Amino acid sequence: MGSFSTTKESLEFLKNLFSQYYESSKVDLPDRFSRREFAFITFGGKGMIRHIGFNKKNQFYRFIKTTALSHIYYSSAYYKKPDAATMQEKDWMGAELIFDLDSDHLPNVESLSYEQQLDVVKKEFFKLVDDFLLNDFDFDQRYIELYFSGGRGYHCHVKDPNILSLDSNERREIVDYITGRDLKDSLIFHEQITGLKRYGQRTYPSAKSLKMPTPDEPGWRGRISRGIIEIVEEIKKSKKPIIKLKDYGVNDSDAKKLLLDLSEERVSRIKQGKLDQSKLIRKFFLNNALRNTAVTMSAGETDEPVTCDVKRLIRLPGSLHGKTGLKVVKIPINKIDEFNPLNDAVVLSDKPIKVYVSKPINIKIKDERYNLKEGEHIIPTYLAALLIGRKAANII
Amino acid sequence: MEELVTLSKYPFLNETKQYVKDNNLSVIELLDDPLYERARAIGVERLENAFKDRDVGNRSLVSESDCIMEILSYPIARMIAVCVDDNYFIRRYALGEAVHAYKNLINESTNFLLEIAQEFKFNIKYEEETNKIRIYFKDYLRNAPTHYKEWKMINRTMEKGFLHIKHKELARIIQEALRTRINSELDMRDCNKSVYDIFSSDIKRIQNTVITYRKKIQVEPIGKLDLKKLPPCMKHILSSIQAGENVPHMGRFALVSFLNSLKLKTNDILKLLSTAPDYEEEKSRYQVEHITGSISSTSYKPPGCEKMRTYGICPVDQIDNLCRKKRHPLSYYIAKWGEEKSKK
Ligand code: SF4
Repeated sequence: MGSFSTTKESLEFLKNLFSQYYESSKVDLPDRFSRREFAFITFGGKGMIRHIGFNKKNQFYRFIKTTALSHIYYSSAYYKKPDAATMQEKDWMGAELIFDLDSDHLPNVESLSYEQQLDVVKKEFFKLVDDFLLNDFDFDQRYIELYFSGGRGYHCHVKDPNILSLDSNERREIVDYITGRDLKDSLIFHEQITGLKRYGQRTYPSAKSLKMPTPDEPGWRGRISRGIIEIVEEIKKSKKPIIKLKDYGVNDSDAKKLLLDLSEERVSRIKQGKLDQSKLIRKFFLNNALRNTAVTMSAGETDEPVTCDVKRLIRLPGSLHGKTGLKVVKIPINKIDEFNPLNDAVVLSDKPIKVYVSKPINIKIKDERYNLKEGEHIIPTYLAALLIGRKAANII
Repeated sequence: MEELVTLSKYPFLNETKQYVKDNNLSVIELLDDPLYERARAIGVERLENAFKDRDVGNRSLVSESDCIMEILSYPIARMIAVCVDDNYFIRRYALGEAVHAYKNLINESTNFLLEIAQEFKFNIKYEEETNKIRIYFKDYLRNAPTHYKEWKMINRTMEKGFLHIKHKELARIIQEALRTRINSELDMRDCNKSVYDIFSSDIKRIQNTVITYRKKIQVEPIGKLDLKKLPPCMKHILSSIQAGENVPHMGRFALVSFLNSLKLKTNDILKLLSTAPDYEEEKSRYQVEHITGSISSTSYKPPGCEKMRTYGICPVDQIDNLCRKKRHPLSYYIAKWGEEKSKK
């Protein structure tokens, strides 16, 4: 890929497509429109144009129609003076709570295709919205807006008036909650005395069992419990349970031991919240249940999640992503599951166009599969835009 | 009307303020009238205790007059605190009031705590039969000391936006809310000239104590660190922490990871941080060890200038010529050492 770069013609092609799009479609503007900072990247331009504010919607529309824009962003924050050059002068008034889940930030996805990556992110996104935002945090659906990012991920904007004023530390706590960071074992497991012995006047505990939460408990306790049960069932159902366990990182002898341990009776005890297992197995269950049920937001711990940044710029809903030509579309909250970006976010025309594809590509878009080898092809405009944007093709 | 004793234990309550108002006391009377000599003395005592012991202290509340003097000492202490005109001192005083309230609150009934929580407009649900207290996550986030691991939101049961807390924890949350409130109230006030004149000898004495304390902590060498060579950003963050200002997480993170990169030991870093008025050993140790990697297996790298700027913790108005040549606070510090050597 490295040496392959976008030609002038291709750039011109994208530029025209985007202009036509902004010419003919009305991009919805965010609430508190005049308090937002806007930022733009133009085709062929260097760097980002920042600190732009608009008082009137018409000004904004005129601007996007007359400037060749490849990316449009707005601030999740709102300011007294959105167009001031420094944060101090801007005077922060509040900000939406933003979650930006992007396959760029997820571990071990490089080897996956674009479609597969999108699927992985979607699973995380679903957990975030359904399990955490709607369930644990109990946010009202009308304050939650979901968008496909136009690239390789999803954005969630929470606009509950209660949370607009949260500072970055407070937002970090929310992120830590959702990503399962710093969960203490003792929240989940505790020992319970199940038998007593008497020696003379005194009684001593003679048997202890380890209690774990039951699946119907609220918050992380119930979540971990459900996670553990899921793993147990997955192992029980599996035809090759040892291999399954090894996938989870358990070594051979431990896997065998664990498997012997998981009798029907044991399993039903686990479902009642009794986990009489060695420390090692306990750790195994806890870590994996945690990993399966928490939301993965960033690759490394040092990666500062977008959510904590209260002055962040975020892609404007309704705009086009400059590297894909896909639209930042809104996803109805009950439609996450069926949402297919390579169908639902395709807005450019299907007019056939001739391109040179620089590396083999296999992609399903608008319900049609394209298996393109390196060389010349005639493909629909929307696919051409996607491939050019990703530096995999050029106009010829 | 609550009992007078209650009001004097919690002089920050609206009801207590109302009581003072109802008694038609003017500021001049408070400051001048020999009748209130004791209230004035207690006022000064509150400040001194807060600075020394992190608690404004207990006094006998047996008689009616005991209570009245205790109640009146509170507004007096606040007026004097403002005139001491030192951020660090005000932080320390607010902490002393809040800790004092906490120590009393843990012995009260849950219903009483709920009444106070109402003054702070917390959204709380209480089931009397089961004794279950639940607080809306936003109020929790605002006030709970979530730097402690056990206080992290993830280590609480969360049910439909509400977190389960115990009686004692509610008292602690009130303590934090009160501390923040006193801080911001006092920050907004100006020193009243007559207060300054009347208490000038106390004020000067307190100021001297603060200065001596400051000097003491500055003179003690911290590892091999040369504070003078720190880049403006780190100087700024450090002095804000030492003044008890609210430094955002990213700022603390930047400073600690920076010091860690200079090979400062955890204990030395803590020594620097311990000069903050609200310093809590356990909490800070947890934070520092997290960043330096002794408990989290990853040791974090300090952010570069670019990142510092996006987080608003590069003091743009204080950057110097060396800053303009450097892209990382660490290279700034190293270059400073270089400058010194080349001079020799
Ligand atoms: S320019 Fe860099 S070194 Fe200088 S103050 Fe800013 S962040 Fe610190």
